[in-house]
Amino acid sequence: MFLYLERDTPLHTLNPVTKIIGLVLLLILPLSTTHPLGLLPSLAFVLFLLYLAKAFRNLRRMWWFVLLLGAVSIVLWSFFRQGQTILFRLGFLSVSRESVLYGLGMGIRLNVMLISGLVFLSCTKVEEFTLGLRKLGLPFSMSFALSLAFRLVPLFFTTASTVLQAQRARGLDLKRGSVIQRVKKYVPLLIPIFVYAVRNTDQLAMALESRGFGARRERTYYIEYQMKKIDLAVLLFLGAADVISFWLL
Amino acid sequence: MRELLDMWRYTKMVVLVGLAAGLYAAVLIPFKPITIIPGFTEIRPAAVLPVVFSLLFGPAAAWGSAFGNIIGDFFGTLGLGSIFGAIGNFLYGYIPYRLWRRLSAGQPVIRSGRGLLVYLLAVIPACIACGVFIGWGVDLLGLVPFAALANIILVNNLLVSLILGPILLSVLVPRVKRWGLAYGDIMEMEPVSSVRLGGVGHLLLWLGVIGGLAVGNALSFSLLPGLLKGAVGVGVAPFIALIIIGAFLV
Repeated sequence: MFLYLERDTPLHTLNPVTKIIGLVLLLILPLSTTHPLGLLPSLAFVLFLLYLAKAFRNLRRMWWFVLLLGAVSIVLWSFFRQGQTILFRLGFLSVSRESVLYGLGMGIRLNVMLISGLVFLSCTKVEEFTLGLRKLGLPFSMSFALSLAFRLVPLFFTTASTVLQAQRARGLDLKRGSVIQRVKKYVPLLIPIFVYAVRNTDQLAMALESRGFGARRERTYYIEYQMKKIDLAVLLFLGAADVISFWLL
Repeated sequence: MRELLDMWRYTKMVVLVGLAAGLYAAVLIPFKPITIIPGFTEIRPAAVLPVVFSLLFGPAAAWGSAFGNIIGDFFGTLGLGSIFGAIGNFLYGYIPYRLWRRLSAGQPVIRSGRGLLVYLLAVIPACIACGVFIGWGVDLLGLVPFAALANIILVNNLLVSLILGPILLSVLVPRVKRWGLAYGDIMEMEPVSSVRLGGVGHLLLWLGVIGGLAVGNALSFSLLPGLLKGAVGVGVAPFIALIIIGAFLV
């Protein structure tokens, strides 16, 4: 279900803390400029990282989305951004050369962020993500709730699909009717899913407490990650890339 | 506001956060491909869940909605916008139960005109706050114009929560009460703020949501001439502050 790919690459072996901070630094990189040409090096860099993570498969799954994102950005910003060189007007909205260029830049920025996220998701397991957050100071109960939610998604997802198929077999058609009628048709889907999900809360809470949930402040972990030299090098490199791009652009 | 932190001491509330987040994400994800603005928003029948969770599970819903939105973004749209998405959804799950507690002493079941009015007064500011906050955040990052995203989120949230919310609550409230999972049955709630303080919070919240929506749209559509570039970020910021202060004072 998730985008994680089991690969043996340098990016996969990084410390989860490095991956999370690295993702933030990567996401900051395209904020240094709005000019399409200035954003191209950032795009090339994240594509290189995707190659390094051997994760082009994930990008291939979403290529249509990447193109659509760029196109929608150009259209939206063309109308909502003001500029001097007016190309044409549509009612009280106008499209200018500057707004189209800005939209193109924002499309590239969005895609740089999307691909940065893909790099992270392709080489980070859910357990690594929650452990990384824990190491960064997120309280245990919060990281546990997040981890629990990640684990429950496939279960609920399967339940939702089963309920959907069962209701379709009874003649439920979500594609027909007005918007209000279609929204109302979600009632017979949402109630059984909700009841199924919530009914076992008590037992889950008891099971956790019987295993000593919240009894000790300090916890140990089955997998421990060490901060290696490569982690520090990656963080320094990405930090420097951010500083340089903001300084230059 | 203190209960947002206190709740983490109750195992059942921690489990409810996980359940709420998991369920929200599980209903969000199948609709990811039906995008309205690619990468940012899609048709979301799941938008009713934070409201329903809020009125049933209180503070657990606020955290659950934020976490659920982050998990939804893990299916391909993770980015800096996810931070604003998480906070916007946090407010969306936080505001309804706070306002309901202020406006009504009863259970969140809509059986009368007054019940419906209280529901509307609790849900509408939450829908607007979510749209304004996310719209402001992504415009600030230069990703999507405020007017495009904030209005779509607002309409989607309003439509879904006003149509589905009352129906779901009428079915779920008795069950959740019977299972002892309503937030008031699990944890000690802090008393509702004093009439004066809560009233000020309520007023600030409404000023924030209405002002933020109006000013954000006016700036985004360039209806206020002569203002500086990137004015949405600066112009809406005071209203965002009002929304946050108001939400925590209510």
